[in-house]
Amino acid sequence: MSYDDYLDAKPVIVTAALTGGVQGKEAHPDLPETPDEIAAAAAACENAGASILHLHARRDSGERAFSTERFQEVTEKVREATENVVIQHSTGGTGAPDALRAEPLRTDPAPEMASLDMGPLNRYDRLTSENTRATVRMLHEEMRERGIKPELEVFNDGHLNESLAIVDELDSPPYFNLIFGSGTLSVPHPRSLQTMVSHLPEGAEFNVLGFGRHQLPLTTMSIVLGGHVRVGLEDNIYYRKGELAESNAQFVERAVRIADELNRPVATPAQAREILGL
Amino acid sequence: MADRCPYLDYRREAGEQTFDTARPYCTAADEFVQPMRADICAGRYGLDHATDCEIYLAHADDREGETGAE
Ligand code: SF4
Repeated sequence: MSYDDYLDAKPVIVTAALTGGVQGKEAHPDLPETPDEIAAAAAACENAGASILHLHARRDSGERAFSTERFQEVTEKVREATENVVIQHSTGGTGAPDALRAEPLRTDPAPEMASLDMGPLNRYDRLTSENTRATVRMLHEEMRERGIKPELEVFNDGHLNESLAIVDELDSPPYFNLIFGSGTLSVPHPRSLQTMVSHLPEGAEFNVLGFGRHQLPLTTMSIVLGGHVRVGLEDNIYYRKGELAESNAQFVERAVRIADELNRPVATPAQAREILGL
Repeated sequence: MADRCPYLDYRREAGEQTFDTARPYCTAADEFVQPMRADICAGRYGLDHATDCEIYLAHADDREGETGAE
């Protein structure tokens, strides 16, 4: 988790965020929504070099789904379509009740990882994803009971404070996802990323997620800083200005090419498990 | 559960966009709705278009102006 890791050519973990909960086919006609579409995208991303798949579930209408049953359907299809990839379920859910937020943790088998949003953030003009400490604690507790490693979703500096406050409760190494974008997210700039990284505890691992046009530069910078990268249509639908991406896998292919050029090998799923202590 | 928004419709096509399955469409904004916002439209999880959707509120304001209603 440092520039030395870059110099030592530590493997970089590529996470593919295939679907998300915010936008759908109204924004990108090929954004995968059904369990079959998600499974096909998952297989393509694994083949391209992704070792973690971040999953959300949708109703047939493209609307958000949180039920264990729908996540079970998605995860089964993804497991059938992939070889050995690490499955990570989202527990995000702006506006959804806490009880529903925990449902994606209850599939059989449980996901190896799950996202844990570390504090509030605004959506649109009138919605807030509250993520109170009580909610975070409840979700984290259930992850611990079910042997699921949390990825701490750090949408801004305040969430980093919240994460550092619970770092002693986490299995080693803690895994931070540093997120950059507009609104209540961290200011999307290389300086912000460097500052955030400088506050991480010794031995931590981090991943970088930049929304929209910030995906490419900030994930590239993460590779140089010894971090890992997340790409995919959940976070960005444009491959370059004015040009929709062809697929999730196209983003993974680009991340793999960049890591290769920068002399960091891309982690296999086995290496990702070793790095993250899964 | 709050009422569903009166502007919500489910459509398979609008303009140049077509889909295999009907999805939430906002007849106030004349566009398909993002999945996250669609939970407001449908009145799920205690979300309510009358308080939580700025598109509904802006459109309601327009209509007030047109009709003189309070
Ligand atoms: S976007 Fe707003 S105005 Fe449109 S249908 Fe949904 S709640 Fe109603």
